[in-house]
Amino acid sequence: MLRRPPAPRRQVRPLKDLLVVEDDPDIQFLIRTVFSKDARFTVAGEAASAEDGVELARSTEPGLIVLDHGLAGELTGLAAAPKFKEVAPNAKIILFTAHAELRIRAGDEPAIDAFLLKTDVQQLLPLAQRLTGLGPPPA
Amino acid sequence: MTSAETPVLEADGGAGAANYTKAILNILDDLGEERGRQADSQRAILNVLEDIDAEKAQLEATQKAILNILDDFDEERTRVKEANADLQAINEAMRGFVAVAAHDLRSPLATMVGFASHLTANWATLNEEDRRNFVAAIERQSQKMSRLVDDILTLASIEGGGLNMRPEVIALREAIDRCLDAGDGDTASVSVSCSPDLVVRADPQHLGRILGNYVQNAFKYGQPPVRIEAARVGDVVEVRVLDHGPGVPAEFVPRLFAKFARADTASTRVEKGTGLGLSIVRGLAEANGGQARYEPNAPNGACFVVRLRHADRSGR
Repeated sequence: MLRRPPAPRRQVRPLKDLLVVEDDPDIQFLIRTVFSKDARFTVAGEAASAEDGVELARSTEPGLIVLDHGLAGELTGLAAAPKFKEVAPNAKIILFTAHAELRIRAGDEPAIDAFLLKTDVQQLLPLAQRLTGLGPPPA
Repeated sequence: MTSAETPVLEADGGAGAANYTKAILNILDDLGEERGRQADSQRAILNVLEDIDAEKAQLEATQKAILNILDDFDEERTRVKEANADLQAINEAMRGFVAVAAHDLRSPLATMVGFASHLTANWATLNEEDRRNFVAAIERQSQKMSRLVDDILTLASIEGGGLNMRPEVIALREAIDRCLDAGDGDTASVSVSCSPDLVVRADPQHLGRILGNYVQNAFKYGQPPVRIEAARVGDVVEVRVLDHGPGVPAEFVPRLFAKFARADTASTRVEKGTGLGLSIVRGLAEANGGQARYEPNAPNGACFVVRLRHADRSGR
């Protein structure tokens, strides 16, 4: 009797490179942890300032950028968003900040694709999946 | 006298002359009366003129009073304008503070919520090291949040007059040593010049907080070597915390101890705070009968000063 060979284990290939621009190491760690639940995302780079982040975006061409507002360098996340879009036009940008008062200004900035308050961190992964068009991970 | 009453010359000279004399006297009487009336009219006119002058003077006085009132109005308007500008500045600062405080409260909260929910959802599959890392992050962020809440509550107590005060006689050198022992590794390098005989009267917790803030700032925003000098100046004891960093930008010095103040420099952007530290220091120093101030540490660096009441060991 012929036995069917076992089906090859499906490899989940990373589909979206993620760039994290955040100056608080604990929040960087939290973002990495959140995205570790979906293997289709890989962290391509992390930066504490927008200036370093833009350089990383230029070299890694990420599909998704999680961008804080108050950063270590001169530039804020909101001010730097167009520069990120310029060097990585295919990247979706989420302004992930604790500054609730920036929601409207973020909405007016065409380079920013979504605004998420840090206290709503549970929504970060579903939002990223929706924005990048990946949708929920396959069961 | 009318024309009907005018005497007529008669043939009888004597009687006629007497009549003329009478007529002339009558005319003279009439003239006298007329002159009297004229004088009365003149007096009346002069009185009216005097009245007009008095009226004019009164009008001028009223005009002057109105001008003075208008001047007062102008001054009042300027004062109201200035008060309005002050209120607007306070309002602006308050809005800025609320934004900073909300941000600084939300950030640690977000990290705590995020890690706690991740731990809850994935406890069984997480390894020991990950669990420990997550809990450590929660602990760090809760400490951060606790410090901020403490600052806000202290400031509210200072401003609301509900500050707990338990003044004691404190040996200053011991208080400085306690403050440096409680600091992180950096504070071991601080050199101290303070006679063991120097004694102040203050709340020990408040003094510890003032010294702690000055020393932390010296390392956060200044540069080593950091030095503490204390000396008696008359009835007060002056403590100076000196560093050798860039010092405070001159334009920011007037607002340095104000609430919600933060200079926009590279070091303050990296070291996130609420801008409450020095306003708390000043509030505590004043609540203890002292003063807090800044002066540049020539040729470079900052010098933060606190002046406290001197006491002798008997507590006087």
